[in-house]
Amino acid sequence: MKINLEILNAACIYDEKEISELRTKELVPKMVTRRRLTRAAKIAIYLANEVDFKIGRVVYGSGFGEIPATASILKSIKDKEHISPTDFQNSVYNTAASYLSMLYENKNEIMTISSGDNTAKNVLKMGAIKALDGDEILLIATETLNIPNIEEVNSCLQYLECGVALKVKVTQLSPNITITNNDFTIKIPNSLRELYFIAKEFDETQTNIIEIKI
Amino acid sequence: MTIKNKAYITETALLCCSGENEEQLFQNICNQNSSISTDSSYFNNTPAAIGKISSDKNFFDNLILKCEEILDKSNLETFQDTLLIVGSSVGGIAITEDIYLKNGDYKNIDPAYHNIHAIQTILETKFKFLDGVSFSTACTSSANALGYAHEVLTKGLYNNVLVLGVDQLSQTTVGGFLALGVLSSQPCKPFEINRDGMNVSEAIACLLIQTVPNKDSIEICSVGYSSDAYHMTHPHPEGLGAQSAMQNALLQAKLTTKNIDYINAHGTGTGANDSAEANAIERLFGNIPYVSSTKSITGHTLGAAGAVEAIISKLVINNQTIPTSTNLSHPENKNINLSTQNITKEVNYVLSNSFAFGGNNCSLVFGKIQ
Repeated sequence: MKINLEILNAACIYDEKEISELRTKELVPKMVTRRRLTRAAKIAIYLANEVDFKIGRVVYGSGFGEIPATASILKSIKDKEHISPTDFQNSVYNTAASYLSMLYENKNEIMTISSGDNTAKNVLKMGAIKALDGDEILLIATETLNIPNIEEVNSCLQYLECGVALKVKVTQLSPNITITNNDFTIKIPNSLRELYFIAKEFDETQTNIIEIKI
Repeated sequence: MTIKNKAYITETALLCCSGENEEQLFQNICNQNSSISTDSSYFNNTPAAIGKISSDKNFFDNLILKCEEILDKSNLETFQDTLLIVGSSVGGIAITEDIYLKNGDYKNIDPAYHNIHAIQTILETKFKFLDGVSFSTACTSSANALGYAHEVLTKGLYNNVLVLGVDQLSQTTVGGFLALGVLSSQPCKPFEINRDGMNVSEAIACLLIQTVPNKDSIEICSVGYSSDAYHMTHPHPEGLGAQSAMQNALLQAKLTTKNIDYINAHGTGTGANDSAEANAIERLFGNIPYVSSTKSITGHTLGAAGAVEAIISKLVINNQTIPTSTNLSHPENKNINLSTQNITKEVNYVLSNSFAFGGNNCSLVFGKIQ
């Protein structure tokens, strides 16, 4: 089965170490909320604002989840120290999507999936299947891998903080964006590949349609 | 979207602290035989009551064995035409912990066996699936996996889905819940007025969901989702998100509150969850359906809980028996109908609740095939 999605808006952001222009202070005015946010949550909030999405269903994906919180927990265990409650609550994969829902009081269905290198592909598939119900859906994915000593397990990724967001709805129009495997010039995580490609191809002066094979 | 097919649970397989199979688990639930025990080995010698699987095999070897078991029971020869949907909150974190704590660095950690996708990676060494995806929404992970299975089958996109709820005990989860101050040092007491916390536990729960039923099948009638949009770890005190998820599930199933015979509650034994959930059930259902939590027997299997409790819901319908509540003598909320004994009665519909960090809520309705 094939489902065509109209890309209503798209945004992506990445940095080799840490993305600096997330406008978190402006987007999250309450300090009590802001100071608990993870890097992934800050990226998700920035991207949702960029694609102008506040209320509705969300499919969020991450291949590796909340690596900084997980690394901090592992260090605490190794050092026989107590785990920080904030690190623990911020270590679940749905952390970023949950903070996003709290910020905008979005009480809709919010899913978090993880499929390794196929995460972006599965976010697109799930988004397409859900979009068959007729609503506009936010597809969003992040990776935040900027932790001390990450080079011990990373020898290929150039960009350690990345995020992509697409606002989509189902359409009967023919596709005019095709995902190919040869158009990647920067080393972003494979888990974001297909979403990143679509965001890069998005042209706000025209209708943008992608075909998703289920 | 037009509903093209129905979704039936045709086969199940299970391993948890309170049973090596479904029948053993249901017997232990009805006989109030809990295997939750105190263990100090998981975090800085701090005692916590946990639910550990008793087995001489590796956790992931047991996972493969349970998948083989479900394949043997089923009408399938392979999983080649089956979509795999995993629900897990920690994936391969216990593997990562072992390597990191032994070596003190990340050098020998294979990212493919660290993340949530690790479970699918491990299974693909033994089985070939049509496709696969993993849900990780903390304690609603496998409930959401079941909800998605219902969605793709009823939309006519697949014919066979294997849903796995899989979570292994780890220092991260035991130490993390200790840090939040919500672990009990004894078997938990869901909905009891003097309850003092939850029991972290581990489980492997496998459900084959198909569009054609067999003689023991039950139907997944509907799924209801909601988000609290309130707090990362605390549910809304009035249970507004929980109520919304249950209402959405009833609406999708075209059922009323009067149709529900039994609610398998999320009922973790924590102060915040149980009072919020009881408030939501009271407001929506009053004292009509029977309610119990089975976590005083299984413990809280985190991301596997939705799948474990879907199997329990199937056993309730197949056995036409509503299980008693364990460790409940003085309920905090006296306006809901908490079961106090095993009750044999006609059970047509069961509602199962799962709630999670981030205010992620999922309610599933299961039905006897009419």
